[in-house]
Amino acid sequence: MLLSVKQLQTWFQHQGRTIKAVDEISFEIARGETFCLVGESGSGKSISALSIMQLLPKSNLQRHRGEILFQPQGGERVDLTSLSEAEMQQVRGGRIAMIFQEPMSSLNPVFTIGEQILEAVRLHFAELSEAEAWQRVMDALEAVQLPDPQTRVHSYPHQLSGGQRQRVMIAMAMACEPDLLIADEPTTALDVTVQREILRLMKDLQQRTQMAILFITHDFGVVSQIADRVGVMQQGKLVETGATEQIIHRPSHSYTQALIAALPENLALQQKHELHDKENPLIRLSQLEIHFPVRKGLLRRVVDQVRAVDGVDLEIPRGEILALVGESGSGKTTLGRGILRLTEPTAGRVAFDDTDITELKRSQLRRFRRNMQIIFQDPISSLNPRLSIAGILTEPMKVHAIGENQEERLEIARDLLHQVQMEEDTLWRYPHEFSGGQRQRIGIARALSLNPSFIVCDEITSALDVSVQAEILRMLLDLRAKRGLTLLFITHNIGVVEYVSDRTAVMYQGKIVEQGRTEDIVNRPQNRYTQQLIAAVPRVPV
Amino acid sequence: MLTYLLRRLLLMLPTLLGITLVVFVVMASSPGGISAKSLVEGQNLDPEAKQEIEAYYNRLYGLDNPPWMQYLRWLNNVSPAGFTFDEENNLSGFSFSKGSDLGRSFRYGRPVTDLLAERVPITVLLNVLSIPVVYLLALLVGVRAAVERGRSFDVSSGMVMLALWSVPTMLAGVLLIGFFANDQYWHWFPTAGLSDRQVLDQVFMPHWSSLWDLGLLFLMLVLSTALFLFLANMGGKMIRMALLALCWFALGLAMVQQLPESGQSVSLWILIPTLFALLAAWLASTDYRLMRQLGFVVTGVLVGGLLSVHWMQGEWLRGFLVDRLWHLVLPVVCLSYGGFAGLAKLTRTSVLENLLSDYARTARAKGLAESSVLWKHVFRNSLLPLITVAASLLPSLLAGSVIVESIFSIEGMGKLAVEAVQTRDRELVLSITLIGGMLTLLGYLLADILYALADPRVSYE
Amino acid sequence: MSSRPQRQSYWRRILRQTFLRWGARLGLFWVAVLALVGVFAPFLASSFPLLLSEGGELKSPVLDYLQPVDVIFLVGFVAFLLLSLWRTLFWHKLLVFLGLIGVTALLAYALVSPPKLVIYEQYRVAEAQGNYDWVVYAPVPYSPKDYQREQGDTGLEAPLSNGDRNHWFGTEQNGADVLSRMIHASRIALGIGFVATGIAMVLGIIIGGLMGYFSGVVDMLGMRLVEIFEAVPTLFLLLTFVAFFGRSLYIMMVIIGITSWPGYARYVRAEFLRLRKQDFVQAAEAAGLPLPSILFRHMLPNGMGPVLVAASFGVASAILAEATLSFLGLGLVDDPSWGEMLNQAVQSSRFNWWMAAFPGGAIFFTVFAYNLIGESLRDAIDPYLSKSG
Repeated sequence: MLLSVKQLQTWFQHQGRTIKAVDEISFEIARGETFCLVGESGSGKSISALSIMQLLPKSNLQRHRGEILFQPQGGERVDLTSLSEAEMQQVRGGRIAMIFQEPMSSLNPVFTIGEQILEAVRLHFAELSEAEAWQRVMDALEAVQLPDPQTRVHSYPHQLSGGQRQRVMIAMAMACEPDLLIADEPTTALDVTVQREILRLMKDLQQRTQMAILFITHDFGVVSQIADRVGVMQQGKLVETGATEQIIHRPSHSYTQALIAALPENLALQQKHELHDKENPLIRLSQLEIHFPVRKGLLRRVVDQVRAVDGVDLEIPRGEILALVGESGSGKTTLGRGILRLTEPTAGRVAFDDTDITELKRSQLRRFRRNMQIIFQDPISSLNPRLSIAGILTEPMKVHAIGENQEERLEIARDLLHQVQMEEDTLWRYPHEFSGGQRQRIGIARALSLNPSFIVCDEITSALDVSVQAEILRMLLDLRAKRGLTLLFITHNIGVVEYVSDRTAVMYQGKIVEQGRTEDIVNRPQNRYTQQLIAAVPRVPV
Repeated sequence: MLTYLLRRLLLMLPTLLGITLVVFVVMASSPGGISAKSLVEGQNLDPEAKQEIEAYYNRLYGLDNPPWMQYLRWLNNVSPAGFTFDEENNLSGFSFSKGSDLGRSFRYGRPVTDLLAERVPITVLLNVLSIPVVYLLALLVGVRAAVERGRSFDVSSGMVMLALWSVPTMLAGVLLIGFFANDQYWHWFPTAGLSDRQVLDQVFMPHWSSLWDLGLLFLMLVLSTALFLFLANMGGKMIRMALLALCWFALGLAMVQQLPESGQSVSLWILIPTLFALLAAWLASTDYRLMRQLGFVVTGVLVGGLLSVHWMQGEWLRGFLVDRLWHLVLPVVCLSYGGFAGLAKLTRTSVLENLLSDYARTARAKGLAESSVLWKHVFRNSLLPLITVAASLLPSLLAGSVIVESIFSIEGMGKLAVEAVQTRDRELVLSITLIGGMLTLLGYLLADILYALADPRVSYE
Repeated sequence: MSSRPQRQSYWRRILRQTFLRWGARLGLFWVAVLALVGVFAPFLASSFPLLLSEGGELKSPVLDYLQPVDVIFLVGFVAFLLLSLWRTLFWHKLLVFLGLIGVTALLAYALVSPPKLVIYEQYRVAEAQGNYDWVVYAPVPYSPKDYQREQGDTGLEAPLSNGDRNHWFGTEQNGADVLSRMIHASRIALGIGFVATGIAMVLGIIIGGLMGYFSGVVDMLGMRLVEIFEAVPTLFLLLTFVAFFGRSLYIMMVIIGITSWPGYARYVRAEFLRLRKQDFVQAAEAAGLPLPSILFRHMLPNGMGPVLVAASFGVASAILAEATLSFLGLGLVDDPSWGEMLNQAVQSSRFNWWMAAFPGGAIFFTVFAYNLIGESLRDAIDPYLSKSG
């Protein structure tokens, strides 16, 4: 075995409490194999990786014990926990390399990428000459298929895109020919199309060099694409290990079963509505444009426009859920906010029923807002930390004269909380006391408090774990059915789209490139971009 | 980049205009304002003479004009292109090359330009000497505090820095002069000014009567510094501590001995050497190599210097340079400690933020040793925010000069500023405002340019 | 974040975390001591006996000589104590407090009229002549401007150097007691710190808020104004103001206030720009809440953190500014202040350490105290880089 972890324990001390981040986990990785550690946030998968690298923050480390036996090619078998810091530095980067989740911040901004890779090479191959070392850097960059490596080698990280930076990270890791590559959520921050290329690249490199990969992720789609074997982690414990196929189709542990069942692909598909009033759509966008000016030069004149939304025509029939899909930067969030006039449209019309929202004066708009609401992505920042939940829920009602007096409004608030399956005593608490999923429920309750007919849901589940996501989605569909809501569901997750939406629109570079019934879009995409997008989505074989 | 520079320079104009306008409005709207009357007030003259002087001032400075006229006139005089006037003060034309004229000071009766040319270099000298001291020490302490996050060095240095930052400059100045420049205590430094009169006709460099003395001084300094540096790196913590403590105990004894008889007391004989010894022992015990070495080197220089002075036989002339430096010691200390404390805290924050960053983790995962991570990767990034701070350090140093120059009777721009506002010297106040503002704005601009050079992410296109 | 449910509002939590740190506690302790000393100054240091018995008749001369300002401070103190027990919104408390102070000030200046002619030594002389049965003096039995003319030989005296007269901190050139002067000067430090910072904060919040919320042209003009005020060294601007506008305590407070607002404006602007993009503000907007609610209920309270931190450092620098002005000879003329006392220390040809060390030390400790509180507050608000983390 290349790596065998035995009874690894990593405990932290935090404000007088012990946090068992990793609690007696054992697993093995063979040469040339890809082992995936899967788990929800806080399950300890990243800490396990850092434990192997011995890169844990020392200040509040309480206990770090167990064996991490590592046997590099043609080398002695050593226990990494017993190595001195100097010996460990030889292993780090040389025998075990690591890449991280955030390609944006993981490279030093003040050195060129060439310098950073060269540093790693010189560190582990001190005997190479300057020219040989550079050659190695160039080889590594070519191996990760960075376009135009001859000039890119002198670029600074900020001049590269996210995907390119992740390639550079991989090149840096591969330049020293490690036996084991630890990849900590390397594709989570990337778009699906880029993710697909990076995953393919990692597989390629693995086949060529016979290195082993410890891949950490929360995404079962990615797991099914890349893993040979899988370990499932829950609250610091490794609850189940097995071959990928077995874990996904025949999980034995109850936690794994629940996790697999919560995947949007596995959620029982609902009956799609077909009986929408196509003639009289609730929302009708015509030639909507939202541009942001780019100013330059001596007098800050507008020299160019960023066309975030560039002429969109869209209709959302009453009672329908329309999914708006696109990669980052496609303008989908801007479009969502533009419909509500949270961002002022540059041109075009937004008709709500018969009212053109873009024509409304500020005071009229304020009154009109009770008809349309929004739910946000980030559960942390979407609730005012200074107000109690009661304050958050009743203030909008008061402004729009819903309820006779405060008692009545509180009664309505209680009822709303009940509808989003929250306890009644929630009312007098403050946002920081709740978990991400709970906050998202409160955010939904706030949106519902004005009894709107239309809600924009902006990536509302992408910051949540799959199990929580499943609950929220179920609840939302329930509410839609009860209240006859019309939803614009903005997301990048195709699995969620399939589960939740009636129709889907695909956005690319500020334009809607394709729209139609969700089933058609997902299974028979017509547009080239849509085809690429759908093909890139890692899916769990059902 | 060029457009950016041009834009910034153009934007400075309205700001400078605003600054002088604010100050002028303050002066003009004050009770009494800036009239010839307020200038003559308090002088013991008979009414007729008073009136004549008033009329003279009015003619000379146009003080009987309405305030807005006065300001416009001043502006016209200062700007390099503007209207020209003939002998009779009548408009004679418009010129693009008339040159700018800051006017004459009411009080000194001399052109403001001359006054500034005399005073500004002195203030600049003070600040130029302070800035490197401030940065060097601040980086030394700040980096260490960040590395030792949460441990005793961090906590104690944090407290000490905050305390230092809270010490009012005038208190420090008064105490320093009182104890180290006054013949009641240690008369080591001069109390006032920037040079002794007698030195003005001496040579520039110091001069020894015998070559032997110079050789001795050189030899002693080198030998003792080398010896102490060697000691600093030698193993054996206990030996190091004992040695340094002993040295400083002796230095403390020598210090008490320097006091005039009346000032010596038994408690002082015990207190000062003990305090010194404890401080030295702590310094010798620290694991922070750079700081330990610094402590030992300073001790070495002190010991070497003192011994050689003790053994010297001949006479020596101080010379201009040494005299100037000798005068500058206390003012520079006074001017630097506050900035040092503030900057050390900023350095700590900045280094800490970068130590916890993702790219530092990448560097560690590459197999770099912690010290390389710190000095090669983290340090350079941590300096970036400090560049911006350097710009804001300049105005605060200028403000500090006002106090320091007043305390140490140094004829610099700060002291001139105090005198100018106290005597309601319109031309001088406005000119100092203009120059001070210009220096500050140029400081900001320089910092921004430096930032762009140091950080590849920033480009001013 | 699986901590046990706590039903505490944000500020309560922040304050609790702030004052868990011993630095903040020390600072608060010193400020409290200073406040007590300032409020009860006439009873702590006065040439007038607190209580005396003249032929069986009880008298309290100190009360007769109470100045209107003394009354205002006493009423303010009592009002503060009572209000801190009242459970209501902070804004209400502040308004009531300010109103009370205003009314008291009017009444005090109208009604309280101490004797115009003040003879400090009269009670000592009378006591020496045996006119009284018994006399109770304040702990420091000298008024700040009591030059002890009856003694004849008064002048500079080192602390406790004269056995008969207990000058704990020595005396100044004219023979007035240094400790007594310091006790009375503590009010200036206290008052100037709070009032000047209050003025600066209000100005900064209004201007910065406008810049941050409306951006565009308002922002550009505002930033120019901020830049103008920042490009002149504050001290120089202060000097100009004070030199041209005369030397009254109130003018000084206002002036320090209006020269230090740009910092607050910058903070508030940055916070508002950040908050405007936050989801909860967007949500408030999407809910159609009126502008005042968005600004003052949703944005301002969330942006107050850095402003309050800056304010506690600001109090420290306001005190420093006053001390510096007084030191440069531009301070108050009639009342002693710490800075002015420090100035006195350098006027003499000899170095009298007690005249520098005690008032200077008082300035240092006060500034240090506010800085300690400010730093703890910052650590509590932004725990990311704090020491314990």
